[in-house]
Parts: sequence; structure tokens; C-alpha cells
Amino acid sequence: MRICRVLLVSLLSCICMSAERGQETVTCARCHQKQASTQPGTQMGHAMQVPGDNDTLRAHPELTFRREQYTYTVKTQNGQTQYIVSDGTHSISIPVVWSMGAQAQTWLLDHNGRMYESLVSYYPSIEGLALTVGDDRLEPKTLEEAIGRPLLEEGVTTCFGCHASNAVIGHKLNLTSLKPGLTCEHCHVDAGAHLASIAQGDWTVFPPELKDLSSEDISNFCGQCHRTWELVVRAGWRGTSNVRFQPYRLAISKCFDGADPRISCIACHDPHQKVVRGASFYDSKCLACHSPAMSAAAPHAKVCSVAKVNCASCHMPKVPFPGGHFVFTDHDIRIVKPNEPYPY
Amino acid sequence: MHLRSRLIADTLLGLTLTLLLQAPASTVAQDHPESFDELTAGASSAREQGDIPRAIELYQQATQLNPKWPDGWWYLGSLQYGVNAYAPAIEALTHYIELTPDAGPARALRGLCEFEVGQYPQSLQDLQQGIALGAANQPRNAGIVLYHEALLLTRLGRFEEALGKYAVMVRHGTINEDVTNGIGLSGLRMPILPKDIDPSQAQLIAMVGRAAATFMSGDLTGAHQAFEEIFARFPTTPNVHYLYAYLLFPADPDQAIGQFQKELTISPASALVHAMLAWAFGMQGDYRIALSDAQKAFAEDPSLSMAQLVLGRDLMETGDIRGALPHLEAVVTTEPQNLEAHIALAKAYSELGRRDDAGRERLLCLALSGHGTAADANM
Repeated sequence: MRICRVLLVSLLSCICMSAERGQETVTCARCHQKQASTQPGTQMGHAMQVPGDNDTLRAHPELTFRREQYTYTVKTQNGQTQYIVSDGTHSISIPVVWSMGAQAQTWLLDHNGRMYESLVSYYPSIEGLALTVGDDRLEPKTLEEAIGRPLLEEGVTTCFGCHASNAVIGHKLNLTSLKPGLTCEHCHVDAGAHLASIAQGDWTVFPPELKDLSSEDISNFCGQCHRTWELVVRAGWRGTSNVRFQPYRLAISKCFDGADPRISCIACHDPHQKVVRGASFYDSKCLACHSPAMSAAAPHAKVCSVAKVNCASCHMPKVPFPGGHFVFTDHDIRIVKPNEPYPY
Repeated sequence: MHLRSRLIADTLLGLTLTLLLQAPASTVAQDHPESFDELTAGASSAREQGDIPRAIELYQQATQLNPKWPDGWWYLGSLQYGVNAYAPAIEALTHYIELTPDAGPARALRGLCEFEVGQYPQSLQDLQQGIALGAANQPRNAGIVLYHEALLLTRLGRFEEALGKYAVMVRHGTINEDVTNGIGLSGLRMPILPKDIDPSQAQLIAMVGRAAATFMSGDLTGAHQAFEEIFARFPTTPNVHYLYAYLLFPADPDQAIGQFQKELTISPASALVHAMLAWAFGMQGDYRIALSDAQKAFAEDPSLSMAQLVLGRDLMETGDIRGALPHLEAVVTTEPQNLEAHIALAKAYSELGRRDDAGRERLLCLALSGHGTAADANM
């Protein structure tokens, strides 16, 4: 119940970031209209969904899954969702408050004051429930254990830190200021101070310019959620499961150069826009180095002898994620050889 | 039963079983054996009958007749170890290892003998090679071998590594007075063996060891209470807050930072504490705060690798990449296996556009880092 009250407070405060200036409200969109109009529609903008605003659950009012003696039901009615685990004799029903993910969804559940990552998740590829990634090794022996993986405080903070904005302040979870999904201030720290100063007519306070970061720093910045090369190396996460850690994969690419802006995350992806899926969109990014015209600026970059279009379709292969519910684009850009094992 | 006596009992039990399994089906002891076959038969018989001095004597004669007989050296070395004849056991096991280089248990046993005669660096080397060759694969052997490895690491001042070994033992349920005393020595950063403990410090060492073991076993509440009791009874003793901070750091860096700061009130000139504090701040992304402690650590002890590492890392993360490089390169020169230094170097080279150097360092990091599974990471 404590968390429900906190949610109510956070929902009430969940409005577009703004500051009052006399009679007018100053918002990010006032000056940054283009970014502010598209960013909320991105996957990052929908990284967390809350009751009443969850189209996926609304479209799938009753989802079920069975694993051994436990049956899972995710039931949505009038905008409210319950996560129900039953062993046939008893059941536990928990309100779904925080849905993590724009496409696949995993639920963060509060049961008796303890936070759990739901043992089952929704996957769009099957339009149904299956085991949450990484939880297949859990073998619950009680109904309570069957809810999911219990999370330590640090784990909870990590979840909210990446799926919501203003949820972690000074390394501590702060649900009263939480805004679902990634809003401007998630990446542009101090945007609030910037707005407040503008509301006072002071145009001297600005957030740090992220576009000025080096490619290495951009990778580490995005990697705070998408996982950095450093984190993956330190943890020893190997195998195709790490294909979803794009900054790590990019960093092990032969062409990655932390000082070259042509190979940074934002060289290819505008975080304010939806991700472009077609390979051809990215050709110009590759040809920024791998073309005869650029040979002076990028002498180490060879020109492809096979094709000049759809570079990513060969050099960034699609890799099925273990479990079969996702396919990711491998950001380890390379010459892919037949039967070559997945690198690192 | 203390680990030392249990070690001998276990080893003898293990050896007996091994010997029974490996002994010829039928042997005839003779009073005056002369041929090699007669000697081996007599040795085997004496061993089976528990006449260890006679078995040793006959194995010695047999191995003199046939120095290429590996089993003879193994039996001889292990029997000599069992009767505390460590120096000759080392010699016999050395012959055995020359003939059977991949014999993990023999290396570990030689390491245990070297431990007993005070050849500590050689002992550690043999134990670690033995472990690498599988000497600790059985739980019973693992406890004995890891315990001695941890004692040696402590004796040689490699306290954090020792704590890591003890943590493995505790997780596997090996907790007794020997182990907790060993943990206490590592935790208090005392480079001595348990036999050298000053009686006036025995209580402190035992309390610290028990508190840390409680933490390692996962009882964080119990560990907190135990540490608080130590802080109350020994408020000025160095390294206790440091130990608690070190244990807390992976799961609760904020609390760890608080404990590191308390340690600084007791040990204000400790380069290690400043370095760890810098590391903790850095891991939270607070590199500007970290840099101050890193500089203090380096000023206190420029030879401390950890100080060089944090200073290099913090300089890099605060923009002084060229200033960072000499420190990071110095660390990998003295510690080529230092993963964190290679990670930092890879990033520094990358920032500088030294693509090939960065790529080389990244490959090194991949080679040095362990293999977990990405499924461990949350979605």
C-alpha cells in the first residue's frame, strides 16, 4: 500500500517538465519542439508503463502461462492489472504497477514490502507470456518464490533508474519524484535548473552538451542503461545473451574509435526519434568512413568489394536471443564469416 | 577438531583409500627383499599393515633401484608427509612431479610440506598450481588446500586475495575456529600465521574473524551486530572499519563509503584507505570527489598499485587523459594481470584515438576477465 500511495503522488506530479514564468509555463518543448514532440513516442519514452496507460495489457486482458505446478495469470480490467500466481490450491495476487519495457514487458512487483522481478514476461513475438530472461534457472519451491526473482535494493534502484526518470536521486530510489519512461531530464541532467533559471529570465544555466561528448563517452553514457563495455567485461558476460548490450558490442568492433564521432551511438541513432529498422538508412553512416572519398580521413577503413548498400545486413547480423523471443542486431561490426562462432 | 589435525587425519584417510585401491591384488612381505618386485611387494604389504616406518624404508630402497617408478615416489612422499617428515617428503614428491608433471594433488601435497618447513613462496606456488590442476576439486581437499593458500596469502600480505579464498570456504560451509582466526588475520591485515598470534590480540582476531565469516555466510544483520560490538570494544584499532567497508562494498557502496571514511579517522595517512575510498566514489561515477582521495593515496604511497590505478582512472575520467596514462601503464607493468588497469587503459587509449592500442587492451581484458553469463544481467 505504501507503494500505491507513492505511485499516486508520482502520477499527480507526472506532468511535462515545466516551470512557471509569470503567467506562462516554460517547458522543454517551448524551445526544443522537435525533440519534445517525438521523444515521448520512442521506446525509451515508453520504457515504463503504468496502469491505465498500458496498451499492451489493454490489448491482452488475460494472459496465462504454466510452469510445472505454477500457473501465472496476468489479468487486466478497467485499466488495472493483477499478476496472479497459483499452485492449484493457493494463489497470490499482486497489483501490477510498474511495467518495464516498451515492447516486451517485465513487471516489478511489490509483495509484502519486498520487490520481485516477475518470473514471467510478456513477449510481442508470441503475444503471450514466457519466462523472464535470465530466470529460467530459478526453481521455485514455494508459491512466494514462484512470484519471481527477489530484488535487492540495488537491483530495484537499477530497474527504476533505467526505466523511469527522476526515480534515483543521489544513488537512492525516490518514488515520489518518479516519472515513467525516459523524459528529457533523464539524460539531460540539470534540465530542471535550466528551466527554472529561464523562468526567472536567466539564460546562463544550461545542461551539459551531450553532443560534445567523445564517442567513447557517449558509449559509456548510453551504456549506463544499455550496459557499457567495461561493465560487461568486468562481469564476464559472454555468449549471445550479450548481443543486447550494444555499447559493449560496438566497443569490440574493429572500427570503433573512441575519438571519432562517426562511430558513436548518436552517429547512427537519434535518441529523440524512433529507431529506424531498415538497413539502408544506415548506409551513409558506414560510408562516412568506408568509401573511396573518405580514404584520406579514414585510411584504415577498407572499401567493401561486395556492395555499397545495406551494409548492416551483412556486417551487423541479426542474432536470435536465447529463449527465442527476440532478435537483436549485433553491434559488433565485422566481416562475418560462415560458421564463425559468436565473438565474445 | 582443528584443521591441522583434521588435515593430517583426512590426508591419511585419503592416502589409505588411495593406496588400498592402487595396491597390487596380492603381495608377499619378505624380511630381506632384494629385487625391485620384492621391494615393492614388501612396501605395499607394510603400508597395508600400518607399518609406516617399514613401508617408507622399503619405498626408499625401491625408488633407489628404480628412480623412474612414479608410484613409489608418490607413496613415499605421502607417507613421509603423514609422519611429519616434510623435507624428505618434498624431495620424494619432487621426483614424482618430475615424472608426472600434471599431478595436481602431488603439487598441492608438496605445497603443504613446504608450508610446514616455512618455504612460503614456494608453498603458495605449488598450492596454486595444484589447484589449477584439480587438487581442490573434491570438497574435502578443497577445504585443506584453500585454507593453506589463504594462510599463505595472508602471510605474504595479499589480504584481499586471502579473504576471497576464505569467502569461498565459508560459502561451502567450512567455518571453524581455524578458519575464523585466519579470516581475522587477513581482515586486520596482519601478515602472520595463526601460530604466531600474540595472545594479547587473540580475542580481537577471533572476534573480527567471526564477524567477517558471519558476513560471508550471508547473515548481514548478524555481521552488523558483530562489527558494532568490535567497534565499541576496540574503537581505535586500525583496519576493522576498512574490513567492514571492503565486505560491504559490492552490495552497498554507500554504506561502504561511510565505513572507509570512519577508517580514515583512525588511519588518516593510510594510502590504501584513500585509494579504496577513491575507488568506491569512482564506481559510483563521482570521479571528481574520487580524484581528491586518489591524489592523497598516491602522495602517501606512490608505490601502491591501487593508488596508481585510482589516480590514473580518476584523472582520465575527469579529462586529464595524458596525465592518467603514466599511472595506468605503470600498474600494468608491475601487475600485467590487473584487469582494472587494462580496462582503464583501453578507455584512455580509445579517448585519445589510439584505436589499435585500445583494441589490444580490450582483447587483453576479454582474456583476463572471467566467463559469467549475460543471463545474469537484468533485462
